[in-house]
Amino acid sequence: MKKNLFKVSLITVLLVMTILVTSVCAPAKVKADTPYKTYTVDGYGSTIETQTAYLPYTTITKIGEESLKQPTDFTLLDDGTIYILDSGNKRVVVSTPDGELVKTFGEGTLKSPRGIFVTEERICYVADRDAKAVFVFDADGKLTNTYEKPDSPMYGETQVFLPLKVVVNSFGTMYIVCESNTNGIVEISPVEGGTFLGYFGTNATRASLWTIIWRAILTDEQRAKQLSNLPATPDNLAIDDKGIIYTVTRGEKNGALKRLNIAGVNMLNPKTYEDLPAAVAVGNHDNVFVAAQSGYIYEYNNDGDLLFVFGGADDGQQRIGLSTKVEAVQIGTDDKIYVLDSDKAQIQVYKPTEFTDHLHNALYLFSKGRYTESKEPLNRVLGMNNLFDYANMAMAKALYKEGDYDGALKYAKLAKDLDTYSDSFWEIRAAWLKKNLTAAVLIIAAVAGLIAVIRYLDKKKNILSAPRKVLARFKEKKLVKQLNYMFYFMRHPIDGCYGIRNQDRVSLLSSNILLMLIILIYIINKYFCGFIVKTVREGSYDVLSDAGMIILALLLVVGCNYLMCTINDGEGKLKHIYCSFIYGFAPYICLTPVIFLLSHVVTDNERFFVDFGRLFMISWIAVLIFIAIKEINNYTVKETIKIILLTAFTILIVCLLAFIIYVLWSQVIDFLQQIPREVVYKLG
Amino acid sequence: MGKTVKRITALLVMLCLAASLFAGMNGKTPGILAEENKTEPAYKDVAGNDRYSLKVDEKTLQLVVTDKVTGAYMESFTSYDDGLANKTWWGAMNSAVVLTLISGNDDTKQANTFNDNVTKKVTLNKDGFSAVIYWTTYKVGLTLEVTLTQEGLVVRVPDESIKEDGDKYKIGTISLYPYMGTSYLDSKPGYILVPDGNGALIYLDNKEGRYSAGYSAPIYGQDIGFDESKVETLLWDRYKIVNSAEQVLAPVFGIAHTEDRIAYLAVVEDGAMRASIECLPNGVNIDYNRAFAKFVERKLYTQPTSNNSTAGSLHLTESDRSHSDLQVRYIFLSEDEANYAGMANAYRNYLTARGILNAPDTSYNTRVDFLGSDRKEWVIGTSRVVMTTVDDIKDIYADLEKRGVTDLFTVYKGWQKGGVNNFPIKNFKPDPGIGTANKLADLINTSKEKGISIYLYDDALRINPKEYNVTFNTVKKVNKRKFEEETYRSVYEKFNWITPLRTAEVILGLEKKMLKKDIDSIAVAGITSNLFSYTYSGKNYTRYDTADSYLKTVEELDKDAKLCLEQPFAYLWGHMEAFLDMPLYTSSYIVEDTFVPFLSIVFKGVMPVYSEYVNFEANKQEFFLKLVETGTFPSFYITKESSSELIYTNSNNIYSSQYDSYSETIEAYAKELAAIAERTEGAIVKSHELLDSNITKVTYSNGVTIYINYGENEAAADGYTIAPMSYIING
Repeated sequence: MKKNLFKVSLITVLLVMTILVTSVCAPAKVKADTPYKTYTVDGYGSTIETQTAYLPYTTITKIGEESLKQPTDFTLLDDGTIYILDSGNKRVVVSTPDGELVKTFGEGTLKSPRGIFVTEERICYVADRDAKAVFVFDADGKLTNTYEKPDSPMYGETQVFLPLKVVVNSFGTMYIVCESNTNGIVEISPVEGGTFLGYFGTNATRASLWTIIWRAILTDEQRAKQLSNLPATPDNLAIDDKGIIYTVTRGEKNGALKRLNIAGVNMLNPKTYEDLPAAVAVGNHDNVFVAAQSGYIYEYNNDGDLLFVFGGADDGQQRIGLSTKVEAVQIGTDDKIYVLDSDKAQIQVYKPTEFTDHLHNALYLFSKGRYTESKEPLNRVLGMNNLFDYANMAMAKALYKEGDYDGALKYAKLAKDLDTYSDSFWEIRAAWLKKNLTAAVLIIAAVAGLIAVIRYLDKKKNILSAPRKVLARFKEKKLVKQLNYMFYFMRHPIDGCYGIRNQDRVSLLSSNILLMLIILIYIINKYFCGFIVKTVREGSYDVLSDAGMIILALLLVVGCNYLMCTINDGEGKLKHIYCSFIYGFAPYICLTPVIFLLSHVVTDNERFFVDFGRLFMISWIAVLIFIAIKEINNYTVKETIKIILLTAFTILIVCLLAFIIYVLWSQVIDFLQQIPREVVYKLG
Repeated sequence: MGKTVKRITALLVMLCLAASLFAGMNGKTPGILAEENKTEPAYKDVAGNDRYSLKVDEKTLQLVVTDKVTGAYMESFTSYDDGLANKTWWGAMNSAVVLTLISGNDDTKQANTFNDNVTKKVTLNKDGFSAVIYWTTYKVGLTLEVTLTQEGLVVRVPDESIKEDGDKYKIGTISLYPYMGTSYLDSKPGYILVPDGNGALIYLDNKEGRYSAGYSAPIYGQDIGFDESKVETLLWDRYKIVNSAEQVLAPVFGIAHTEDRIAYLAVVEDGAMRASIECLPNGVNIDYNRAFAKFVERKLYTQPTSNNSTAGSLHLTESDRSHSDLQVRYIFLSEDEANYAGMANAYRNYLTARGILNAPDTSYNTRVDFLGSDRKEWVIGTSRVVMTTVDDIKDIYADLEKRGVTDLFTVYKGWQKGGVNNFPIKNFKPDPGIGTANKLADLINTSKEKGISIYLYDDALRINPKEYNVTFNTVKKVNKRKFEEETYRSVYEKFNWITPLRTAEVILGLEKKMLKKDIDSIAVAGITSNLFSYTYSGKNYTRYDTADSYLKTVEELDKDAKLCLEQPFAYLWGHMEAFLDMPLYTSSYIVEDTFVPFLSIVFKGVMPVYSEYVNFEANKQEFFLKLVETGTFPSFYITKESSSELIYTNSNNIYSSQYDSYSETIEAYAKELAAIAERTEGAIVKSHELLDSNITKVTYSNGVTIYINYGENEAAADGYTIAPMSYIING
């Protein structure tokens, strides 16, 4: 009997459990893989996949029984309380961290609220676009203050006040982003019922070369009809504990994310940016998050280097973690990311993975200057992903601080971190010099001695006469002479040109050999120069197009120049122009190897030598070419300048023509391909 | 004493009642169906077996399957009208067959057996009935055969019975009994089993209209032959950031009514190659839950007439319909079996009874895969990047042996000449960078003696257009345009696919050459997880043709070689020694409520299953627990050199693989998981329960139970305490 009863109760318990399991709708807690990849960008600017940084954690669709309608903004307090600006319902909804409703307020006051900010004292600021005001509610949700358009003349008489987003610093000063206010962020102090302090963090206008040319061509009337070139209004902003303001602006390229100090000066210039940022938030480890409207979420470190980008747009697949229209982002104290999607009317919460936790730990230690300690989490990060650029960079710095310069060099090279590379290289070079200086001096002395001895012997016994004879004979060869002419040309361009024009001192063959030499040196220098000055990434080669580009450019310049010269009484023949141009590049052949060698031994501090060497070389070449054009055609200086400008113009026209021909031809080819395709289709 | 027990029992019973009431009243639903809204079909008992009876209404062809023991039943139609559905929906809800018709460019026209002018000729027989159905308006028809077998119901439409007599209307899709097992809102607690990834559940609770779309996915993946210029949203216009959804590996779906203790698992037996699984909970158009297979007969496609994608194109209908019988088998389950673990067990029995899933050896191994070499761009052409040579593998094996890890299983990728992206592999010629042919053969054969199988990896589908001529023997889409697969990487930007006939020729040739060296283990990929329609030299081939061809190829290979297959579709499961890359997740569709390891339960004990690579998991501990829960063997992707060497290659997604950083992890995983595997060796999973959202209990047929706690806090279950992110094993 007892046993039976026990059985019954057991079955009942099981039944209750099954029912609970099957019928209780838990907040969709799918332990799932992410529907998106996570990428990071390395020092070379290449994008690399990495471990998932954040996983979708939960989705908040309802606060208690209240559902949201087109929410546009929200604030997350340190204790997890969420203030959601439920714009469609014209109210503020306050929720506990678990999604329980605390209260709602603002009904009847708000018209078209767009931005919300809540201080730690729970004073709530709402930017309302249609009400043209910023409303302030106290902790109980009672309206305590309304700030309308500032009456200060500084604000601008005709300028409307359409507040979209607002943040407030610890003194109560409001920073307000207003629609169509291109002057910048409106800064209002709470003193005397609202004092306009001025505009803050104005974006700069930018004009492309094309716009400048275009505007120069247009008449005043036409110019007036053009869209005026106004600076972009920031789209959203955030504030950190120290009162530093962060803004995001669409279409501002590198200025998409800005960190503005008290003076309104930008201190951040991220290389990787989003074209359509919607919101920005400050993290707990000197990191910054930017959310794109399309659902991408970017995490940057303190220096504006991209750590992660993940997420993405939901193209109707309805997968957890993808977004439709992101409007706001906030970071919890536990590093969770909260993303508000106004189309889906929900807040998606993402949770950092183990990998990201290690990284944040390292970020934190690193920012506190505890480099040695930071090695442990960095090693864990690298153990999971040894291509993770930020970790490599931090590791290089940590090793440098520890005095392990070889290690630092290795990691810095991986991360393309020039500063650390340069510093470590300096140390290594210094150590090498210290160790080998005596030996080096001895070797140099020995070599000098040897040369002196040989010279002495040569003087006495003429031991070098045989090799000298061979060399002289070699130098007498016609081609060698022609090639050697290069050195003469470099030093005496006017006479040199005379030689080319009237004395046949060079030939097409010698010019072509020099051209090949130029291409060869160019390629070697481009791909094998020192790490400090290298512009291409290690391991990537595109030699054919390099050579092609050089030859094409040369032919274009020479051809166009010849065309212009022939109709402008120039006396030069095509061959002479071609040869003199190539001989004009003689300094490149002579100096580049030196610069190349130099690039292998300099650090960032002595980079000047390399840069100066290049500038010197380029100027030399320019002078040679100028003189060549002048002398070969027998022009005056004025005529030469005119010819150079005409040549540039001709090059432009030729390029345009080539483009038009290309477009026309591709149309013809497409048409020709269409015919058989249609036939194939009709037949089968 | 007795009194106390009685009181407790009474209390519990009341609690239970309250809970069920609560469950019923959750939301706006009337828990008890309104009497006046019930339609009253005229049933006739047509067949019965030991457990179930089948009733049918001859006029409407509506079915009821009843469990004779418990009285629980499942219907093929809605017996309750909420008064909200329009005529078309109501018609579909009460139909045995629902068609979509194609007329010109329009493929949305619906026809069903309830609303339209239909002639039906029903013939009863001893196990069921057959009905000849003809839509007189549209001049299309088919014969529906329903049979009750020992395990359940078979619904079938023979291919030759499908008629399209008119010129105006052609059949687009056919759904058979789309409302089998339907329920209204949360009136019948339970769930729909979704074959997404490993498996997922959609609970039959009130969804309150949250979802505008349900789960809909083609069985055996998308058909690239039709995939029309689908615009991928790329990060910065270059990088693919949204992962593709998991493919439907097994042609199954199911519905369980957990309170009624009745469930079915449906297996799409014929026509699966061109069918999709539709799992739609309440709120998606109507407030009824349903799951069914939708068979595709004809599809629309776009025929561009110029190279320029914006210029002219035509919308066309496939000239011929697909030719296959359509058959769905419903396996009914009752009482303790009426849940997803029961469904998985039923599916395993179904497969093993047909001789599928017959691995000779299911013992534990740690899978350690190696990457041989890849290529990066160089001054002229490409240069070799060697990651793991034959000698390196020997060293790594020796080191693992020292660490006590000897149960190993290896797939060697990128062993072939030209590296891991050089396909197809025509000869047994290793890349000179990793060693000679004899050396590799020697490694494989000596390892075999030690009990380590090394499978050589071959993607039998792809061809590298930078290395091979792709003018002939490559796949063209239905619109006769060459199919190109984007890699979104820099060295090799595109791959083409070779035709199934060419695949057979190449891989069987390779097998022959390998057998000469006594090598008989091949890991086959590409063809195992892709099915497509294509055209080649003027002929159209369907997915049925492709599947037939691949099945023959794999059968032929299997005769002399040992095969393991990479994420294979169910029709190939009879020909493998091991399943590679089992997904342990779903595609994270919003509509899915929870993950369940359906496929893992099917395989556990009858087929060794290896996970996806541990390397790339960000949450290592959670993934480890997943391995414990599902009985999946761990996989590692290992290189001798640092993965930073790979940064300029197409393999730059392998960002972490160096042996030195993984040796300890492999050792730890191998020791712990081998110990668990030993306890469950040869056993199958008897039941699998989600005790609450964080604790999972797995019971094996040999009595061993494992509790896994995924939560961040310590938790108790059945009197045991389980540490956070940990597990315990008993029995």
